Amino acid sequence: MSKFLKAFLFASVIFAPFAASAVTVASWGGAYTESQQKAYADTYSDPSSIVFENYNGGLGEVRAQVESGSVTWDLVDVLPGDAITGCDEGLFEDISDEIAANAAPGPDGESMAEDMENNGLEYHSGWDCCVPQIFWTYVVFYDPDAFPGEKPDSMADFFDVEKFPGKRGIHTWATGIIEKAMVADGVEPNAVPTVLEKQTGALDRAFEKLDTIKDHVVFWSSGSKPLELVKSGEVVMAIAYNGRVGAANLAEGENFEYIWEGQVLDQEYLCLTTGAPNREAALDFMWHASTPEAQAEQAKYITYGPMRASGIPIIVNNEPWGPGGVDIMPHMPNTPERLAVSIVSDPQWWSDNGAEINERYAAWMGN
Amino acid sequence: MALPTYATPIQRTYYYAYLFFCAVVFFFLVAPLIAIVPISFSVSPFMVFTEGMLAWPPDPEAWSLRWYRNMIGDCSAEVVSSTVPCSTKWMKGTVNSFYIGIIATFIATVLGTMAALGLSRPHMPYKALIMSILISPMIVPLIITAAGMFFFYARINLVYTFTGVILAHVALATPFVVITVTATLVGFDMNMVKAAQSLGAKPMRTFFKVIMPLILPGIISGALFAFITSFDEVVIVMFMASIDQLTIPKQMWAGIRQEISPVILCMATCLVILSIVLLTTVELLRRRAERLRGIKAR
Amino acid sequence: MLLRSVDDSQINTVFPNTFEEYKKWDKEKDELPPEEVYRALFEELAYGDKIQVGRALTRMNYSKSGWKSLIKKTSRAIKKAVKKDELPDNYKDFLIEANEKWADPTYWYAMGQMVNNQTSIYYWNAIDRTFDQELNVVQQEEDRRVYVQTWLKTLKVSIYVTVFCLILGFPVAHLLANLPLRYSNLLMIFVLLPFWTSLLVRTTAWIVMLQQKGVINGVLVWLGILSDDGRIAMVYNETGTLIAMTQILLPFMILPLYSVMRVIPKSHMRAAQNLGAKPAMAFWRVYLPQTIPGMSAGGLLVFVLAIGYFITPELVGGKDGKLIGSWIAYHLKTTLNWGLTAALGAILLGFMLIFYWLYNKIVGIDNIKLG
Repeated sequence: MSKFLKAFLFASVIFAPFAASAVTVASWGGAYTESQQKAYADTYSDPSSIVFENYNGGLGEVRAQVESGSVTWDLVDVLPGDAITGCDEGLFEDISDEIAANAAPGPDGESMAEDMENNGLEYHSGWDCCVPQIFWTYVVFYDPDAFPGEKPDSMADFFDVEKFPGKRGIHTWATGIIEKAMVADGVEPNAVPTVLEKQTGALDRAFEKLDTIKDHVVFWSSGSKPLELVKSGEVVMAIAYNGRVGAANLAEGENFEYIWEGQVLDQEYLCLTTGAPNREAALDFMWHASTPEAQAEQAKYITYGPMRASGIPIIVNNEPWGPGGVDIMPHMPNTPERLAVSIVSDPQWWSDNGAEINERYAAWMGN
Repeated sequence: MALPTYATPIQRTYYYAYLFFCAVVFFFLVAPLIAIVPISFSVSPFMVFTEGMLAWPPDPEAWSLRWYRNMIGDCSAEVVSSTVPCSTKWMKGTVNSFYIGIIATFIATVLGTMAALGLSRPHMPYKALIMSILISPMIVPLIITAAGMFFFYARINLVYTFTGVILAHVALATPFVVITVTATLVGFDMNMVKAAQSLGAKPMRTFFKVIMPLILPGIISGALFAFITSFDEVVIVMFMASIDQLTIPKQMWAGIRQEISPVILCMATCLVILSIVLLTTVELLRRRAERLRGIKAR
Repeated sequence: MLLRSVDDSQINTVFPNTFEEYKKWDKEKDELPPEEVYRALFEELAYGDKIQVGRALTRMNYSKSGWKSLIKKTSRAIKKAVKKDELPDNYKDFLIEANEKWADPTYWYAMGQMVNNQTSIYYWNAIDRTFDQELNVVQQEEDRRVYVQTWLKTLKVSIYVTVFCLILGFPVAHLLANLPLRYSNLLMIFVLLPFWTSLLVRTTAWIVMLQQKGVINGVLVWLGILSDDGRIAMVYNETGTLIAMTQILLPFMILPLYSVMRVIPKSHMRAAQNLGAKPAMAFWRVYLPQTIPGMSAGGLLVFVLAIGYFITPELVGGKDGKLIGSWIAYHLKTTLNWGLTAALGAILLGFMLIFYWLYNKIVGIDNIKLG
């Protein structure tokens, strides 16, 4: 017995160092990672050198890997708040010089950063360690059959349970919903981040607005839930990830309507872990995955929008871009008209205040 | 334990109420599993009974083997869904899960039984302390244990190896064995050990011939707990396993932020059928063995 | 890992001089700290290691939201000045000009909780307390008080689940233990089957069963017990959590009970009755005490597992689904507040040990089957 055990332990220790040879990319899994596989890895010069690993967000694992010195994830797909924190803490490597030198410029020679600024984004420290991926949004959607008469089309309607009776599906954390409440309270969508940052009492306003629908809410915590809630009639409207609604409409023959007003755009970044075992290969893949072409390509598989402004024309000029010869732009969050009524979530503000607001939100839910 | 013939009507009522209550509990235990079987054959990625499924006569359009084919890695066009990625990972996960689970169970059962035997001795020093340390992996929230273990295992180069995952699962599963075996040992009469030893049996022989047969129900339920702990464990696997050690839970939790994959229902259905077959076979074999030995079942 | 709950040394290696000077600040006399504090801070931000400062930032933000961007913006201004070789004459004015928040004493008060290598702040945070400027323990602002409420909810859910499991599990285990082996083994399949199915599957299955258009509501409406508009909300609330958790943890109660009941000789009950005890009496005085080891083991297993649960409650619990385990995972993974994570974990552990000890006292040492 003990002999067997020893041999077994010994063998696995010996074999352990051979594990990493391909670039490991940690991402969210599911359909999202599938779209990354197709858009980035399959179009890469050596597709087999890229392996996707799943994680469920947050920097816990990354910090554990970096602090203990056993890094296996070369690249991590993160939300902007985590990009900022990871970069500040040195969990992700500062590669701002390499990005300036190697990231693909836009068609008019603009740098990647300028290309992103053209899309309404502002520099934050995450840009030093990471390359952009896609925009996704928290969008409200509904089944048109649930509203035979007038149909809701604004955040004010979402928060108006007298005009549109029925339950609402919202998520169990604060990001996105705070901004929507501000819009429903009459703040111009584009101005919401500034108001939240500058105006004292803005948060109280948001929570007061949330109070008005408190008794008409079903909370969800996994992305497919809101669709099941709406489909089964348990709620009449829900907030969801727009990609999930897009997939239901495009591939599952559903006919859900979006309310683009007050959608909250959030971003995704691909960051290089400090001490990544395959640093050079990982960097090369980063340059590939951040080209406007690759980002536009991803829209073929999931309705998330390129973060580089120059990715959009590629899609628009080549419609039908979607699966099975359908136009994809009607399902994309970042067309100019839609951006005009949207909020681009401010990652710096959230990384400053997120913990506190989430506690407050939880207290609000629980009471 | 049928009712004796002399039972009073009140006793009868109690008895049938008791049987009814047990039946309800059994139903409560398995009802959700029965509910998922039809849904695993649905064509829709939503986990609800669709209208087509409830229609009579049955609507063939609403039913399919789509998710089963996805599970075994058949990614042909009619199977592929834009929301549920298709891959061979489920099969790989199944193999790994059984591999890790069986080895971890074996080690945990041996260690746990030994620990329980030692701890149930009346004169064992520092009993309470040892016990608290042993069961602490159960009490400290798993995610903290996982992060702590990660740092520890990283130092000895065991993260992202099968050995690391198995050892971590052993640490988690052992307390279950300890608790169930100690519970059984309470009703155990230590005089039997003395008797065996006074008759000349060596400690090993005493254990296998006297102690083990008597506490076997405890050991088996401990081993079951251990196996299930490992088989269904996701937090540690998320921290300590790379894609090479992909297990079923790890695959199930992939992409959970966006979608609970309908393939998990297929996996569950398959495991349910497998375990019915296994458990029934074991029971039939046991009866056969009993018949052959000429012992009548109790 | 648990050591991190009191450790505050990282930030003290980043701002040693600032904190040294800070301790000399007389809060009664001066509204803002003296010039030396500003100067030390300036220097430590100007020449400190960027990554170490970054890690300190994450820590500082726990004490007060806003530290992160405050320090980052200030750092940028400082670096610019140092680069141009323009060291200020008055550091206080320089910093306040760089960002007016440096004139806001609340930030300085919040710094007080970080200036020592060891801290108890995480433990206080874990029960909705914090420090005021004099480092006295005070209540957290009202709308941020979540932990006490969550602790109570977690405790309540765990106790309910344990009790339900005992009520449901005891008769079943009794039946299984007393039936002939050939029947009990077959019935055992019912207990073991749910065990074989992943937690996630069972959780999902309960949603399918309990939701408004789900199986149970559907059957009730079909039977005419409920009207179509009167469907009961059984999921995404506490009811759903309790039902799902009870079912998931029930085998953990049945199996230990079963293995104990199996070895109780049947003759005991008969003997008691022969001696004149009524069946109920015999059960109460003879049978029940002998099952206490099983009840303790099962109860402990269920309670311990329930108290750390967060996946099932989060999926089926809706607004009531955030138990203490969720917060631990959230702080470990998202806010990276590992001090608070460890403190919450340590409290949980301490709590269980007290529970164990009490139990020991009440049930008596001979009946504790754990040690």
